Order: sequence, then structure tokens, then C-alpha cells
Amino acid sequence: MNENFEPKIAAFVCTWCTYTGADLAGTSRLKYEPNVRVLRLPCTGRIDFSLVIKAFENGADGVLISGCHPNDCHYNAGNFHARRRFAIFRKLLEFTGIDPNRVQFSWVSAAEGAKWRDVVNAVTDEIRKLGPFNEYQKLIHDSFPFRHEDSGAEEISEKEQVENVK
Amino acid sequence: MSNDIRQIAHALLSEGKVSSVIGYAEGSLKGRVQTLIAHTAREAEKFIFNENCVNNLAVYLTKSYGLINKDKPAAVFLKPCDIKSVTALIQEHQLRREDVFIIGLSCQGVKNGNVMAGKCMGCSIHNPQYYDAIVGETVEEKEPGISDPFAKVKEIENMTTQERWDFWMEQFDKCIRCYACRQACPLCYCEECIVDKTQPRWIESSSHPIGNLSWHLIRAFHLAGRCTGCGECDRACHQNIPLSLLNMKMGKEIFELYGYRPGMDTEAKPPLTEFKMEDSEEFIR
Amino acid sequence: MARIGVFVCHCGENIGRTVDCPEVSRRAALLRDVFYSVDYKYMCSDPGQNMIKDAIREHGLTGVVVASCSPLMHEKTFRRAVTEAGMNPFLCEIANIREHCSWVHEDRKAATDKALDLIRIMVEKVKHNVALESIRIPVTKKALVIGGGIAGIQAALDIADGGKEVILVEKSPSIGGHMAQLSETFPTLDCSQCILTPKMVSANTHKNIKLYTYSEVEKVSGYIGNFQVTIRKKARYIDESVCTGCGICQEKCPVKKIPSEFNEGLGMRKAIYVPFPQAVPNKPVIDREHCTKFINGKCGACEKLCGPKAIRFDQTDSFITEDIGAIVVATGYDLYTIDKKTDNTLKGYGEYGYGKYPDVVSGLQFERLVSASGPTYGELKRPSDGKTPETIVFIQCVGSRDAAKGVSYCSKICCMYTAKHTMLYKHKVHNGKAFVFYMDIRAGGKNYDEFVRRAIEEDGAVYLRGRVSKISQEDGKLVVMGADTLSGAQVEIKADMVVLATAIAAQPDIVPLAQKLGVGYDQYHFLSEAHPKLRPVETNSAGIFLAGACQAPKDIPEAVAQASAAASKVLGLFSSLELEREPYVAKVNENTCSGCEFCLMACPYNAIERREIKNRRGEVIKTVSYVNEGKCQGCGTCVSICRSKSIDLMGFTDEQVYSQINAMFV
Repeated sequence: MNENFEPKIAAFVCTWCTYTGADLAGTSRLKYEPNVRVLRLPCTGRIDFSLVIKAFENGADGVLISGCHPNDCHYNAGNFHARRRFAIFRKLLEFTGIDPNRVQFSWVSAAEGAKWRDVVNAVTDEIRKLGPFNEYQKLIHDSFPFRHEDSGAEEISEKEQVENVK
Repeated sequence: MSNDIRQIAHALLSEGKVSSVIGYAEGSLKGRVQTLIAHTAREAEKFIFNENCVNNLAVYLTKSYGLINKDKPAAVFLKPCDIKSVTALIQEHQLRREDVFIIGLSCQGVKNGNVMAGKCMGCSIHNPQYYDAIVGETVEEKEPGISDPFAKVKEIENMTTQERWDFWMEQFDKCIRCYACRQACPLCYCEECIVDKTQPRWIESSSHPIGNLSWHLIRAFHLAGRCTGCGECDRACHQNIPLSLLNMKMGKEIFELYGYRPGMDTEAKPPLTEFKMEDSEEFIR
Repeated sequence: MARIGVFVCHCGENIGRTVDCPEVSRRAALLRDVFYSVDYKYMCSDPGQNMIKDAIREHGLTGVVVASCSPLMHEKTFRRAVTEAGMNPFLCEIANIREHCSWVHEDRKAATDKALDLIRIMVEKVKHNVALESIRIPVTKKALVIGGGIAGIQAALDIADGGKEVILVEKSPSIGGHMAQLSETFPTLDCSQCILTPKMVSANTHKNIKLYTYSEVEKVSGYIGNFQVTIRKKARYIDESVCTGCGICQEKCPVKKIPSEFNEGLGMRKAIYVPFPQAVPNKPVIDREHCTKFINGKCGACEKLCGPKAIRFDQTDSFITEDIGAIVVATGYDLYTIDKKTDNTLKGYGEYGYGKYPDVVSGLQFERLVSASGPTYGELKRPSDGKTPETIVFIQCVGSRDAAKGVSYCSKICCMYTAKHTMLYKHKVHNGKAFVFYMDIRAGGKNYDEFVRRAIEEDGAVYLRGRVSKISQEDGKLVVMGADTLSGAQVEIKADMVVLATAIAAQPDIVPLAQKLGVGYDQYHFLSEAHPKLRPVETNSAGIFLAGACQAPKDIPEAVAQASAAASKVLGLFSSLELEREPYVAKVNENTCSGCEFCLMACPYNAIERREIKNRRGEVIKTVSYVNEGKCQGCGTCVSICRSKSIDLMGFTDEQVYSQINAMFV
């Protein structure tokens, strides 16, 4: 276990409850770990399991999915669908030798800023304990030995930028 | 029994009741059978049924084969387990009941190569649930030949996380991405498979470790709550990847959590398209 | 090629204190396809917005990322700004570097790095954004009001007076609701019937109101501006168009001993009846359960005697479907009792002897006993022997504010109506003694406290602060054992009658209706408003509004005020030709859709339909899913369920999300 290891965590959250709850954590100036990158979607119903696979493929050590508590879904049912989907998907991951704790799921309401803080801290802590997802990283490396020069989103050199502007 | 089969196929075709009859014929190798799609009564002479008829012919009822949606139904010989695939196809609106003429076959189990097929060892349905015509005597229903159809799945469940990972990585590493598993599966009927989508490309198409893992995870999950356990993916895979173990695992979890078995009811809602308020959420913070 | 502009806001010190904004801006400029990047103190200010507009024009930007506060805060602001510079608003995205970054992290380096990550994620998203147009939906300018009590009547009248059509549905045979049962009303003691009846008549005769009594909402589908509502018109066994309301049927009906619902069981009615003389419509209904004709086929007196031949024993329930633009739910309340048919005692208050001692009555029963139209024609006689009660004990908070035995909330109207009851009593029985057991007096409202003071000071009601522990019967008297906590004494009062101010409860059958409407409700089944303070008459289902006690206990002025508020919301909605909403809806790729209908089965809004694709000869080639944009709310559940990715959600497309994930950890 590497104490200095800072896990990379992708969070997929619904806009109505968890995203708003995370906003509340901010407005309340609650402090939490900076490891989570939040992606806002309308509803947990929109969170396809392939998003999780894609996050791992991009180097995530853990994934957090969060939405409205049961019966609070803005769309009535999206969170119930997500609950089934991820209950089963985690079983699949577990069966193929991926620690299901790398895929975390929480209900955080728009009023639960403090819960969001606690969830982020707890999940970061748990993934930190699990350590870097070396197995997946190795697959990535074996599959894309030259990937680093190939990514579309990374920063480009200043020289190149100047040329772009021209 | 083969006599009865030829008779019924002959009658259906000569009377013009069906557009084609899908059945089994002797293969070119001893102990192997091949699919025969007969359009004329004369061709019906070649139909057989024996213990080597392991194939699930329901796959030919998917739209891409072009045998259904004719002015007359297509007739097909189906074992009781194969009828589950038809049930699922009807349930998923790929097939209308009136477009298929089911010739049900009572079945005591079939062989895969020299041994009884894995699916037969765990089988408890030996007579067709529904049909338009039936061939063969009703056989006595009996308990599965093995005590636990999930023994293999449990073996993997009992491994450590690392052992499971190593096991599957070794298996997936063999995959050459020929998609024979997909072609053989009656429920892999998507007009464009997700693996062929390029904008965006959810699954890397090369047979490198990442692409293979993603493919097998997504394939297994897309069949979760749908796979009827015909085992054609296993048979189709010439790299001998035990694909059906993934499907069985999904089926086992779906049944334990939601009490659902695929291929039993054309009117049932697939388990991942519905929910119950009281669904388990022990994994949720 | 994409030309993205990044605008980093300091938000004064709010972001700048933790995030190195100039550094973030400098590094953002190095992101691929970022063409322009700048930081500024307040991006939302006029000069800040102008920087964005100028940059769009000068540099021909194809997309904008504003790194600032939450999108829930200023997304609208910045999207409006880019529109003014000629850019489609949906090409502007917000990176939330305040609520999700500067305010929650302390380490400057970590926060700065994260801010850049968040910007990179949004830059990748906006590169795949496409120009979208808001969706416009036509509005059917006809309202449905459910419930014909005072709130429903008021809402219906206001909408109708505003020139729009209204369908008013009432489940009982007459409109009027509980208000019609009241004798006089606080704080003015004006006669309830006198102020209500004219409104009932207006509702019946208004040219814009169509009244369906003895009817219930059977089915609701659709969405704001475009609901389809099916109404079940229960069989009255009367042809209303023929019946003149002469009343001969009711007079001659031999089945007499049926407890009258309107009189709270204190009076009797016939098997064919008009619930009360002022009923609207003044048309009778046959009570099938008690009618001899229905029980054994004999009798038929009403049919024989009916002049215009309006009796129809063979009538069945009929169904009417209406296109509706907005719905007001005004279903009112019920008293907190358990099912009267099975057990007549108040839940948890068996010691008060309700249902056991006939002279222990509810507040509503007392209203009937003092009402001029009541079973005793306004003369106060107690139910057991018809004697005039010389002493009455009123008990407040029976069920209310009692989480252990009843409900935890305050029923709000009981303090006032109990004060009113003491006054009505004293006005009828001048030397009568009125005792009130109370927890405390809640008389907030215009002229309310003055009213309670009057009951005490002018009419001499004796208020005892304390609870009643037990009521027993002794020599024809009710012995009320209670505590007076102010004097610390145990009190025993021998009373002739006891009136219980029972808690207000939600309608027992409200939940199925709420589910049909898709309206939320609380643990006590009161319907949920969209926001407790700022959107008190709206629900979370667009186009559905609340009025009256279905939302929470309310008195008449409040119910009427909320009804008028709901009506003004409806009229506001009806004043626009079309509704505009964000274009975040699902779209099907018909080329790859296999028509498995999983999306259709999972959609919470029934927004997905089947569509047949035909060839040139008109033959069906295949059946695919099709999204009804008017119904789709944009949750994206269908997108996750589609195995072949043949359905996508505008604004949150697969390509956008995919690119964002790719940009998360570089």
C-alpha cells in the first residue's frame, strides 16, 4: 500500500441531487479530498456501465456513481434502473477479478452537502487503500504502448499553440 | 424419430404451409450435424434428429437470416431448451409468434463431441413448453444430471480476486475477436453491434488486452437477464474461451436478486428494464 | 476545426484565493483546440460578459467554456451572453471551479490542477456540442380542476373568469365539499352556506366550466400543455338531462334509514337522494348498495313516480376523455379517523369513547348539529337523547401534534373552529357551560386572536390548558378526566357532550390519484409542492398545481388564496402560445435500432413509441423506437439500456461523455 498514492477517481453524478448536493458542500465551504473529477449527467439512469469501463481504460483507479435517494429521482425512476444495473455490473466485475469496491455507488441528495464530503473522503480513502489499479494500467500499457503521444486532449507545446493561433 | 421429422417437414412444404423448414442434416464428418434450410419438399428427405443435434436453430429466426417476415411462417425444429430462445426473441419483439411454426422435439439430452453437452447436464426441461407440432414421444421429466449446474461458476467465485483476474486475462488473451460467439448467439441480433460503432468507439476493435476485456465485459452484460443458456457461444469459440461461464454468472445473480429466469415468458419485462422499490441496495452508500 | 475560448473567473477572491486563475488560464491556452483563454475578476459582470462576447466575434470561436461557479448558478447568464454574440447557447459550457473546487479544497496546487482538469473535461465536451434549438410545445388551453370543494370551485371560477375553459371533477354527487357542511365560519361567523352557495351556482352555470360530479379521474397521460385525462362518470342511475330535480323520488323512496354522509352520520337519508338541499347539481343519485330494486329487483317506486321518467336502473359508468393543458389538484382533506365501517373509534384515542358514547362527537358532527340545515334544523340537541346539552367539553389536538398516538403536525384550523364552536354553543344555549382543553392556542391570522379572546371574554368559554386522560359515562353524563396544568389541578367535568377537534388528514384515496398524476406526497400523504417557500402551488410535475388542504391543513381563506394562486399560474401558462423547454431529449438512430423495445419498457414517461419503417411499396421493413419529444424529459435511462447505442441524449450525447472521460486523467 502506497501512502503517497493519490488515486484518480471518476465520478458520474446526476444533476438534480448529487451535483446540487456537491454545490452545497461548496457553498458550505466543507473541505474534502481533491481526487474526484465530477461529470454531470441528468440522471443516474443515463449512467451506462460502459462509462465505467471507459473510465478504467483512461486510467481511473476508482469510479463513483451518485444520484438521488430512492423516491427522490427527478425523473421518478432513473435511480432505480441504475441501482439494478450496477448491482449486476459489480457482480460481473467481481467475477472477472476486479475489486467491486473500485466502483462505488451512493445516494446524495441536494441537501446533503456534508454527505457528499463524507462520501468523497471515504471513497478516496478506500481506493487509496486498494492502491493504484495496476492490473488495468498494465493492460492499457500493453495495448497502447505509444498512447501518450496520441491523446487528443492533452496539453500541446507552446510552440505548436503559437502555430495554431496563426 | 427421423422418419417422423421428414414426414412432417415434407407435409408442411408440400402443402405450402410454411416458407421454409429449418432443421438438422447429417454433417460431413461422422458424429457431426449441419443445419439444413429446406425450401422444397424434396429437400425434406435429408432431415434427421439424433443425439448429435446440439445446435440451437433459433438463431436462424433472427432477422438477418431473412427467413422470417415472409408471407408464410418459417418452420423450425427446436429442442425444449431452444424454444427458450424463441420465447426471448418474441419477448424482445424480434419475432412474431405467427411467423414461426415450431416443431417441438422431446429431448433426452444431446452430445457435444463425444460427451453430453454441458447445458444438458443441468437441464430439467425435456419436453417442449409450446409448439405447433411435436415429434417424438413425451419423455419423462427428470432432475438435472448433475447436482449443481453452477459448480464451475462457483469454482471461480471461490478464487481470490487476483486468481480470478489471472484466470480471465489468460482466457481473454486467447481471443482473436472473430465474433463467432456473437454470430452463434440467437440474442446477439443487434443490427449494428456496439463493437462496430465508431463514433464514439466504446470498445477497442483490436485484439489487444484492453479491447478484449471490454468486449467480453460488455458482451456478458448485454446478455445479462437475457441469455437462456444454450451454450452456442462456447461451441462457436474455437479458442475455447469458456464464455458461457460469464453468462451463467449473470443469470445466477439476476435470479438471486430479482427472481427472474430468461426465456420463460414472452410477456415478462426483462429484469434490467424494470425495477422494484425494494430492490437490494446493500452496495450503496 | 474547433476554436474554443476559455474564460476563467476569479469570482473576486472566491476562486482566486485557492485557484491560481492566471496560471489556469495560461495552461488552458495550451489545450488542444483552445484558441483563446483569459482570466478576469468577475466573469458574470457586464465587463466580464462583454469579454466573452468580444472574443467570440473577434476570434470566431466555435465553443465557449466558462470556468466559474456552478452551472446551476450562471449557466443561463453565460448562455444568454454568447447568444448575444451570435453563438448558439448550447455551445457554451460551464466548468465548475468554485463550488466543486476552490471552495472545497485548501491546497492551492491541488486546486489549481483540478481546476485545469475540470476545464479540460469541459473543453472536450464543448468540442462535441452541437447547436440545439429549444423545443416548443403547443398548449391546450383547457384546465382540469380535481375536487369541487371551496378550493376547487375558486380555482375553476378564477380560470373560467380569465376566459379559459375548465373541467371541474368532483367525486361525490354534489360540489361544495366540507365547507358546505359548516354552520358558520370564523372569524366573522357568517353563514357558510350563504357565502358558498352562490359560488357553487356560478360554477354550475359558468359558460366556461364543465362540471362532472359523481366522477373521478381514471387515467392521466401526457405532459404540461398536453395532458389526456380520462374521467369516469359513475352511474347515478338517473338521466341528468331529463331529471328536473323535483324531489318526488327522494320523498317516496321507502328505504329511509341510511346514515347521511353529509350529516356525518347524524341524520338519515333515502336510497335515492340529493346529499343536501342546496346541492349542485340538484339531481339525485341512487345508492346501489341500499336500493331495494338493486338488492332484490322489487320496489322501483322512484321509477314509477318519476314524472319525466329519468330513472335508469341499467345505467353504467361512462368514460369521457378530455385534452387538458393544466391540472389543479384540490382534493381537500378528511378527518383523522380509521375506517368508520370497521371500527368507529379514533385511532389511538379509545379512552375518549368516540363511537362508544353517542354524545362524543367530532368537530364536523358538531357543525351539523348547530347548522340550520342540519339534522336538528339548528337546534342543538345531543345525539343520544335529544336533550339540550348544559355543559360541553371541547378537546383540541385529538391526534394532532401527537407523534406517539396520532400525527406529528398541527392541524392548524382546530384552535379557531373550537373557539367558534364555543361561541355558537353559547349563542344557542345562553346559560350553557363550555370548557376547552387545549395544548396552546395558535391563532395567527387576521382578526384570529381577537376572535379567540372574544370566545373567552365575551362568551365565557373556559379554557383549560391540559390534556384529557379519559372519558367515562356515569348517570347519563360524560365524565371528563383531565389536567389543568396552569393550576396544577386534576379536573373532572361532568358534561352532556364532548366535541373532539380531530386532526386533519389527507384524503384516504389520494395516493392512487397522486401516482396517476406523478405528483409526490409526504409520509402523511399530503401532496408535495415544488418548493416549500418559493413554489408553494406548483408540483414537481410541470403543469400540475395544488390548491387547498390536499397540500396541508388549511382554513378557508388560505385554501381560497392558494386556489386563486394556482388559477393565476394556470392562466399564466395559458397566456403563452407555446411552451419553450431545453432540448435535452433522446433521439433514436433508426438505421441501427433493432426494435427490441427495451427503451420503451424502461422509459419513465412513456415517451417512446413504436414507429414502422416502410419501403417505397408501403411494406413494413422494420419497427423501431421513436421518441415523443413532448413527453421526453431527458433522463437518459433509455440511452443506458440500449445495447446497440441506437439512442442518444441531446446535450449529454455518447460522444460528449466519451470525450469527457478521455480527458479526465491526462
